[in-house]
Amino acid sequence: MAMAMATAADIGSSRWSMVSLKSALPPLTPITSSVRLPCVRRQRPTKCPQLVRSFTGLSPVNPLHSLGFSDQTSFGHNFTIIDNGHRFSAMRHGRRVPKLNRPPDQRRALLRGLTTQLLKHGRIKTTRARASAMRKYVDKMITLAKDGSLHKRRQALGFIYEKQIVHALFAEVPERYGERNGGYTRIIRTLPRRGDNAPMAYIELV
Amino acid sequence: MAVSVDPLVVGRVIGDVVDMFVPTVTMSIYYASKHVTNGCDVKPSMAINPPKVSIDGHPDHLYTLVMTDPDAPSPSEPSMREWVHWIVCDIPGGTNPTQGKEILPYMGPRPPVGIHRYIFVLFQQNGPMGTAVQPPASRANFNTRLFADHLNLGLPVATVYFNAQKEPISRRR
Repeated sequence: MAMAMATAADIGSSRWSMVSLKSALPPLTPITSSVRLPCVRRQRPTKCPQLVRSFTGLSPVNPLHSLGFSDQTSFGHNFTIIDNGHRFSAMRHGRRVPKLNRPPDQRRALLRGLTTQLLKHGRIKTTRARASAMRKYVDKMITLAKDGSLHKRRQALGFIYEKQIVHALFAEVPERYGERNGGYTRIIRTLPRRGDNAPMAYIELV
Repeated sequence: MAVSVDPLVVGRVIGDVVDMFVPTVTMSIYYASKHVTNGCDVKPSMAINPPKVSIDGHPDHLYTLVMTDPDAPSPSEPSMREWVHWIVCDIPGGTNPTQGKEILPYMGPRPPVGIHRYIFVLFQQNGPMGTAVQPPASRANFNTRLFADHLNLGLPVATVYFNAQKEPISRRR
């Protein structure tokens, strides 16, 4: 199609220039954000220098825009701008709470159970997401035990499922973690799980 | 972000049991065709018998192998740290512990609570030990560093560790 247009225009003018075509189409990118790279090769003076495109969103590239600009002119290639699953951003902006794919009541129960087991066994093996979500709650329980008053003990009893663990925790935490300020757990990543290739980790009390 | 990527440092083997050292000897440990790598999982049922240990090194040198568990009886309360499982002395380089003198007979891992680390530490001896080594009075409250100091073994030359936990009694359906 490009060659057909070129041959038709060649009849009218001796040189076919892209300027008329580009002015007819909607603008490719906002003018302020485009970066012009120096034109390295001189064999194609009619082509414009390559522009680095800024993020244009999820819409497919207009096939007409890619006429002389890239070599992927087939229709199937026009959707390959975003290819990272369902994530719109590669960063963690604004994500405060790890949801763990569960509704809030189940999530709370899961974290309570995991912290109870960690305080009971000392080292457990779970998925990496759960291990890093647990850290906050384990640290909270150890901080309550460091304080040691009756009110804090009752608060801990309301979170941990087994009461012997709470009493043992309040008995041994002051001498074990007396000088340490925070960071009472350690996460060690390990091999993925065989059944679903979930990334696993050991979480242990420091 | 981990400060160090060495699995022995990440798993706190260096720190709890041994000090920072430079490995000079390669040691491979096999529990019935399962090769033990740092931090791998081994079931206690597979570790009832002593493993096959192959040490490469000069045949003139003698080595001492110690297997301990620093998380006895439970990683959250290691009151019996460390529990020593196996001590073999006078192993000639390039062979395995069957050629050495077994000071303390092998005891398989039996973790009652939690996930325990089981650490194999290899030392190089300055000379033959023979009867100079006494087995410890009890397996509990062993200290690998003190043991190495008593026998002038210096820093270890190789270390491997694996994890083990209590197996469920009946298989889940």
